[in-house]
Amino acid sequence: MGIREILKKALMTDFITGLKVTFRSQHPAELVTEQYPLERPSLAERYRGQPRLSVNPDTGETLCTACDLCAMACPEKLIKVVSERDPVTKRKRMISFQYDMSRCMFCGLCVEACNSNCLELSQDYEMALYSREGMVLDRERLEKGQEPAVYAR
Amino acid sequence: MIPQWLYPPLDKTPGESGSVLWMVIFILLIFGGVSAGVVLMNWLERKILAHMQVRIGPMRVGPHGLLQPIADALKLLIKEDIVPDRADKVVYWFAPLCVCMTAFTLFIVVPFGRAHAVTDMNIGLLFMLGASSLGVMGVIMGGWASNSHYSLMGALRSGAQMVSYEIAMGMALLCGVLMTSFNASGSGTLSMIGIVEAQQSQHVWFVFKMFPLGFIAMAVFAVAMVAETNRAPFDLPEAESELVAGFMTEYSGFRWSIFFLAEYASMMAVSSIAVTLWLGGWLRPFPNALSGKLWDAAFASVPGLVFAGLGGLCLWSASRMPKLAQLKLQRLGLDGFGGVLGLAGLVMLIPPVAMQVQDVFWFAAKVAFFMYLYIWYRGTFPRYRFDQLMGVGWKVLLPVSLGILMVTALVGVSGELWTSLGGK
Repeated sequence: MGIREILKKALMTDFITGLKVTFRSQHPAELVTEQYPLERPSLAERYRGQPRLSVNPDTGETLCTACDLCAMACPEKLIKVVSERDPVTKRKRMISFQYDMSRCMFCGLCVEACNSNCLELSQDYEMALYSREGMVLDRERLEKGQEPAVYAR
Repeated sequence: MIPQWLYPPLDKTPGESGSVLWMVIFILLIFGGVSAGVVLMNWLERKILAHMQVRIGPMRVGPHGLLQPIADALKLLIKEDIVPDRADKVVYWFAPLCVCMTAFTLFIVVPFGRAHAVTDMNIGLLFMLGASSLGVMGVIMGGWASNSHYSLMGALRSGAQMVSYEIAMGMALLCGVLMTSFNASGSGTLSMIGIVEAQQSQHVWFVFKMFPLGFIAMAVFAVAMVAETNRAPFDLPEAESELVAGFMTEYSGFRWSIFFLAEYASMMAVSSIAVTLWLGGWLRPFPNALSGKLWDAAFASVPGLVFAGLGGLCLWSASRMPKLAQLKLQRLGLDGFGGVLGLAGLVMLIPPVAMQVQDVFWFAAKVAFFMYLYIWYRGTFPRYRFDQLMGVGWKVLLPVSLGILMVTALVGVSGELWTSLGGK
């Protein structure tokens, strides 16, 4: 052991370095805690949360073309699209859309398959429910989205 | 005509002037003050430790979790009191009392000021050491009576640890006591008040006397006192990752809270030994270099200003709180707390009160520094292994403290010889 190391041990420089680190981390700017119900966390841009069906903001009509690509892309086969042929325009029209969130693993393959930018996995994350039945989302709930939870304080 | 014993002792301790009434009042005041200090320390420890680990700590009960210790105490009080089936009931019952009583007994000789101690013993320091060692007995009793492996292991560890660190601690203390006997004014005393007065007459805190001898002695003591009070990084008796909670494993509710109270009270007591011996006890900074009426008044106004500032801080924080209906009570409470603190500060600014309060304030401030060190250590250092702990005690601290003791004696005696031979 060299004289340097002996001095280092005797003067306890390693201890002092450690003490410095903990002292500095007391600065309020270093805090990482989010006080969740009081303040909402900032999520990553590509976070995949609650599924949504987009509507045209001007007319309120759905963007879905009922092409069924999302249902085919889904590895869990949890999307069910029911459609009919519009007698006037001769185009397919989506009647109901069922999304079983309880089996969803949020892989996002359905979103990638969607060619009308209708289906998306939104940033909403408060998806916990008291019943399994509630996890099966119908068209109305998918289009309306979810109200952010409000807590007492 | 008011009898003599009713007068508040302003320049002597009640023990010296022999007024039992004021002794009782002082004991009650110290008991209340130390308990309040424990409550505050509980909150501070959780907050500071949280900030060191970049967390926030308690935030929900009261503004910034200020009422959390009270909520915890309530919870502990109404918890079911469980005594293990095959425990030794009497010893089990007596162990927390033993620990708690010894921790509070120590404060009898702690001088918060020249007149602000219950009594002045001529063997004050010895009394502190002896009484604080009795705490180990309570710990071992608790571990033995619980009839549990974890408790017994914790208690045995605690016993071994306290015994081995006691020696280094005693040597470091002797070093400080030696220093009181040097110089022409040397008194060579074990009395806590005498030690502080020696520092005043020698015009130096003993940390800085014969630098770095005093400093090393204090450092040895500072390490030994952490081990003595079973705090991190030497908290092996209650190492939660190995022994659940050591000797406190089978204790719950109120009994556990008594152990908790005792732990913090003994931390304060041991810190106040260090403050008395090395940091000048109740003396304000620079009592001799910056003397004179103006400096006296300036330093005497510090406690009042600090309290008024704290009160102002409370009021300011209350005004910054979000204006929500459910926070109204908290805001009012914080306003009231700030008002009380501010009023106390204003009262302390009155000169006669300031003169009586300031020594207690400086003493408490120095003890608070040591308490912060305790938390800081806990936030920084990982726990020692048991053989490492023994190694540090016997192979490092004991030789260092012995060496310091000898060198202090040599330097001191040679200095005395030099002056007596006419050198300067």
